[in-house]
Amino acid sequence: MASDSADESSPTLRDYAMLIGRALALGAVLAGVAVPLVVLSGESVRFASEKVFAVAALVFGFSILGWSGSVFAGRGIENFQRYIGGRSDWSEADSRRAMMVLGSVGAGGMVGASLTTAVVGAVV
Amino acid sequence: MSTQTETEDVGDRGVVERLRASPFLSQLLSNRLAVAGLAIIFGMLAIGLYARLFIDLQSVTTSQIGTNPNVAPPSWLGPKEAQVVTDYGTWAYPFGTDIQSRDIFRRVLYGAWIALKFGTITVAASTVLGVGLGIIAAYYGDITDNVIMRTMDVLLAFPSLLLALALVAIFGSGLWKVVIALTLVYTPRFARVVRGAALKVLEDEYIEATEALGAKDPRVLVRHILPNCLAPITVQSTLNFGLAIIDIAALSFLGFGSEAGTPEWGLMLANGVELGLLTGDWWWSFFPGLFLAITVLGFNLLGDGMRDALDPRMRETVD
Amino acid sequence: MISKRFVIKRLLLLVPVLFGVATFVFAILHLSPGDPARVIAGQRASEEFVRQIRTELGLNDPIWVQYGRFLFEAVQLDFGQSYQIQRGQPVTEVLRYKLPVTLEMAIYGQLFGILLGIPAGLLGAVKQDAVSDHVTRIGALTGISVPIYWSGPLVILLFAQVLGWFPASGRIASEFSIEPITGVITFDTLISGNFAAFQSAAMHLLLPSLVIGIYSMALISRMMRSSMLEVIRQDYMRTARAKGQGSKITVMKHGFQNALIPVVTVIGIQFGSLLGGAVLTETVFGIAGIGTLLVRAIQVGDYPIVQGTVLTFAFLFTMVNLLVDITYSYLDPRIEQ
Repeated sequence: MASDSADESSPTLRDYAMLIGRALALGAVLAGVAVPLVVLSGESVRFASEKVFAVAALVFGFSILGWSGSVFAGRGIENFQRYIGGRSDWSEADSRRAMMVLGSVGAGGMVGASLTTAVVGAVV
Repeated sequence: MSTQTETEDVGDRGVVERLRASPFLSQLLSNRLAVAGLAIIFGMLAIGLYARLFIDLQSVTTSQIGTNPNVAPPSWLGPKEAQVVTDYGTWAYPFGTDIQSRDIFRRVLYGAWIALKFGTITVAASTVLGVGLGIIAAYYGDITDNVIMRTMDVLLAFPSLLLALALVAIFGSGLWKVVIALTLVYTPRFARVVRGAALKVLEDEYIEATEALGAKDPRVLVRHILPNCLAPITVQSTLNFGLAIIDIAALSFLGFGSEAGTPEWGLMLANGVELGLLTGDWWWSFFPGLFLAITVLGFNLLGDGMRDALDPRMRETVD
Repeated sequence: MISKRFVIKRLLLLVPVLFGVATFVFAILHLSPGDPARVIAGQRASEEFVRQIRTELGLNDPIWVQYGRFLFEAVQLDFGQSYQIQRGQPVTEVLRYKLPVTLEMAIYGQLFGILLGIPAGLLGAVKQDAVSDHVTRIGALTGISVPIYWSGPLVILLFAQVLGWFPASGRIASEFSIEPITGVITFDTLISGNFAAFQSAAMHLLLPSLVIGIYSMALISRMMRSSMLEVIRQDYMRTARAKGQGSKITVMKHGFQNALIPVVTVIGIQFGSLLGGAVLTETVFGIAGIGTLLVRAIQVGDYPIVQGTVLTFAFLFTMVNLLVDITYSYLDPRIEQ
């Protein structure tokens, strides 16, 4: 486990950018599919846009919170898990990376929802 | 077909070996505290079932003014006010009555049913979600694992009551919505336990053997992993049960759970605190809280004993 | 020791924290079923009026425009005005009077938790025999089985109603009128030199702080116990004792400081649960802090207040963790910040 994360924690900048890019795209696609789906289910474009954007914003806000939380409470969490939680494979770097990916999905979703709303709004 | 039976054989042997290696049940039963916990749980279950079957919900929900004395202290105590004079010294209202003249004793009994019912649903739902997420994380590994588990960790870092409040703000109030909110709040705990156990199973050779036999299907994996996670999942569910009962009642206490009149412990406590506390009418809040605390204690005693029986080393090193 | 750069870096972290919380809350409010315009207008208002309010609030704009505007206003610490609870009042104004109330109770509660939890944990680690282990264990299990909303009423009934030692609810006896300076009532009364009022305020605070502190005590003592056990078992402690370096007390003292380090870091994260407990404790003791404010705001759909309250909680949590980090670096000078 330890050697595993050591390998992962030093990816090149390009790998990192690729990962973020893929996450952004994933979020955008998910939102882009979700908005028309909600509209097709009989809701207004306004409603679809608002809810999908809000879900994406929830993910985005959550991961920013998780990212900064990992930084400022990282040591506490590590100690907590060591003495009480009984698990030790949590690491600040890992957590920040995960939150970065998740946040990108959220951000992509927010952009995707906005763009799709414009398109769907033009069609409907 | 032959592959199927072979994989099952291998899986079964794993379970049997594990059971033999840690005599879980006999260890558990030799722990007096755990047995006491088990007895409490069965007692509460019996009370809950009795209440569900023999107490008319209507009679403990709607106002009984006129039928019963109003705000009477427990009848065995003696008269507090002239109006209860006919009943004192009897067992007519062992826990007293509230401002709607409802019999608190029967309300508390019915509360056992509500607490156990909604507790069970909450715990079961978060177990299912957690098992799913944990197995997915362990199976796919890498970035999927990282994102799922770190998300679970962040969720775990939120104070559970505040997170539940945020979710209730999204879903709206009501007992069922509270159940949904708490299910999401508890899922990370199960995901964590299951992922850990699943990883162990994946490292074991018999999964490799299974894969070699051409059974890379995730469904087969679930069949292998689940029996091996059963013990940690059970411990987690038991410990979580107490928490679920506390949190459901807490949200009801704050006014987001059960509807007015429901014989639910949290709501009864809220009424007792709001209307009975400053006038010293202690029985409103005392008895529902007592039953709640005893039930939760039962689950905590049992869960704690289970944890020990499962992994006696844990206690020395961690706790 | 702690460097100025470290503190500034941590303070800068407040930006993403608050940004994250703000976005999170924005999302929650837009996912929740209520209609803010309806909340402001009231249930009986005409559809026409509701529509007018909706336009005024900009609720008809596309959601990303609303999000941008929300962030822009939040940066200027403008969280809007209360819809319902104190209609028309700026949220910051409402919070300014409620925050010290909660803060005061939380701080005293945390102090109780630390002052009771650390000795209890030490005792558990040093005195290791079957009986005390058993007692500690049953005590801890009973402790986590009793929720605040029952232990609170119980202490009120016992200490306020039966014994009459403490007041049952509120912050100060009604005969005192204290001009709020900071809003922290024990501080204000002291500053104004009114000791009778201070005593009354302290008596009012004692029970709620104790109730809220018990839970943090449970965790701190557990943490202290296992951390101290680990230190005791470490080799250098054994050798130190074997070599007879100083008395057992000296050895323990040295071990204690090392054992304290992980405990301090955990105080930071459990402060969040303490704030969660504050919501319940305020309700039980009838204290009008931001905990009860949050509950009421969610109930009536007063979204700006919900936003402001949650942001305040996050701010408090971050600041406490900053304090913890500073304490930590004093305890463990080996760590390079």
